[in-house]
Amino acid sequence: MKIGMQMVSRSQPGGMVAFAALVALSSTSCVQRTDSSAVDVEPHPLVTASAVDMVFLPGGTFMMGSDDGDDDEQPCHQVKLSPFLIDAHEVTHQMFSSAELPNPSRWQDDPHKPVESVRWRDAKIYCNERSLLEGLEPCYDESKPGLPCNFEASGYRLPTEAEWEFACRAGSQGDYACGTSDKLKSYANYDENSGWETEPVRSRKPNRWKIFGMHGNVCEWCQDVYDPDFYQASPQRDPHGPPAPNGDAKRVIRGGSWKASARMCRSSFRQGQRTGDTDACFATDYCGFRCVRRMTLEQWNQQQQNQPSADVTKPDRMANNSS
Amino acid sequence: MRLVFLFTVGISLGVIVSARAGDDADGSLAASLATLSSKLVYESYVENNWELFVCSADGADRVNLTNTSDQHELYPQVSPDGRRICFIVDQGQRRQTVRSVWVMDSDGTNRTKVADYARQPCWNPDSKTILYLPQEYEKFNIADHFTKGIVYYDVDSKTSRPHPNSDKLHHLYNPSFSANGKWIASTVHAGMGYQHAILLIEAEGPRIIDLQIGGCRPCLSSDGQRISWGENDHTIVVAELDLTAESPSIGERLFQVRDAQNKIYHSDLSPDGKFLSLSRGPEGKGDLTKPGTHEAACEMVGIYASNWDVLVIPLSLDESLDLNDAQPDDFLAVTSDGNSNKESDWFLSR
Repeated sequence: MKIGMQMVSRSQPGGMVAFAALVALSSTSCVQRTDSSAVDVEPHPLVTASAVDMVFLPGGTFMMGSDDGDDDEQPCHQVKLSPFLIDAHEVTHQMFSSAELPNPSRWQDDPHKPVESVRWRDAKIYCNERSLLEGLEPCYDESKPGLPCNFEASGYRLPTEAEWEFACRAGSQGDYACGTSDKLKSYANYDENSGWETEPVRSRKPNRWKIFGMHGNVCEWCQDVYDPDFYQASPQRDPHGPPAPNGDAKRVIRGGSWKASARMCRSSFRQGQRTGDTDACFATDYCGFRCVRRMTLEQWNQQQQNQPSADVTKPDRMANNSS
Repeated sequence: MRLVFLFTVGISLGVIVSARAGDDADGSLAASLATLSSKLVYESYVENNWELFVCSADGADRVNLTNTSDQHELYPQVSPDGRRICFIVDQGQRRQTVRSVWVMDSDGTNRTKVADYARQPCWNPDSKTILYLPQEYEKFNIADHFTKGIVYYDVDSKTSRPHPNSDKLHHLYNPSFSANGKWIASTVHAGMGYQHAILLIEAEGPRIIDLQIGGCRPCLSSDGQRISWGENDHTIVVAELDLTAESPSIGERLFQVRDAQNKIYHSDLSPDGKFLSLSRGPEGKGDLTKPGTHEAACEMVGIYASNWDVLVIPLSLDESLDLNDAQPDDFLAVTSDGNSNKESDWFLSR
């Protein structure tokens, strides 16, 4: 069954939020040479036609990586991103089941917990299923080995590493979107407070752009091939990671998980993970994901004209929104 | 000893040489296998199509049982009396694939569809009842554990009934009936509260026992006293299993096969309990240029597994066998063309 493409925004009408005032700048070497417009980004929460909470980010420039981090996080470099939509939280069991896919997760006791143990390939299949459900053009070509991604397609895909970090930072510059690690427990499910399992999405505070769980709970698959040296030659505009080599390559996972240390939950922390595509029993119980979708400012504005802003907040979903 | 032919399995499979004996009884493994009344059935990908083949235990007299260019037959399972074979058929491509369970006589005649959107059948020891796993959703997915419940199909009356606990059975794969008909061994993945386990499921009741062994794809022996399973990608184990006990549990480990270089999967114990068949080949995730195949781990049903072949191993060897350090007659490769030969099943020839 196809569902129409209509989207409805639940941002405040005309509500320009001055996020710049909220940004707590730290004094890392990266910040000192920051040329970032991300602090001025106005995010727009919305609910998609298949009832998924997303946030429209109208693009911007930010400083990616960290000169104080691990070698693969260096150098901190400027990246400019086009506008896109990103899921407000990780893909949950409920969302995965609605796509009629076999849920591989270890903890399925709550439909609002994030899926985990998901192979990179299965995450892409979910993106395609969700695209088809909303009448969008799937990004991944299932007829070709490795399911190559068409970044120009209108459908859902995994975020690039740059998109992920942009959304995670939400205009922040330090190690965490919330500032320092002493505040992390209010925002993240990680080894110091997880009880060694996942928790329902939205259990903790979102970042400034109303995006939940970018730190902790489950690591999130990105589209990019993992290359520890990529930042040394990364394109400045909409980087997609290095080209995929022949055979299996590690892909990027970001954000840390229920079993990760605070350090591994940092905004700039990078990990390469085997895809699991050749493992019939892939059971890496910290690998989850969220989706993104391209949308130009023109498309967004047109969308807003066609669908005037309306609050479609769903009480059941928002009940544990602790923001 | 007169050798009819001598072949080497490709370099990618490691340094392995096996021999096949000729007509004269020479004491070789091939010669002893040639005397068996047991045969093997397995799936193979030939001329852009999955087909089911039968051969003698020594690999001789290979016959294509299905020969259908418009259907892909896979996962053969022979009834204990040797009269029938149940299997799955894939039709369509990729996400439009419809997977169904079928049954036919062991000579390939009298094909009858059992159920659509179903997979991984096996036989009750009565040789009249097929167990199969309904798909979790009708929309195709390649995952082994894309199943919900268990259904029994009576071949004579062509009627079906669910397992009495079917509603609570979720994400099972690779079931195998016990010889006494009381238990079903099966892998579960991300279902029923298990992350991954090999279970014994009461055939007509609610009991479920976690055998507490890692791995997947159990096979129960015809004598009801042993189980084989894949402990990991590179190890297959045979152990004692007392299915007459109130709470069956794994006993002594009797035999172990290792191959550090290749994957080994799909173990099956011969009717006389003296041999083990398995599939072996390099890691891969398929070849989407081949019709009727998908992309995933190549040991899975419907994934083209390049350079995979079926081997037979005598269980009279010592407690373990390292396939990368094997001697001639430690095993026999009953296929050698590497055409994705998988899912072998022993049966007594009628």
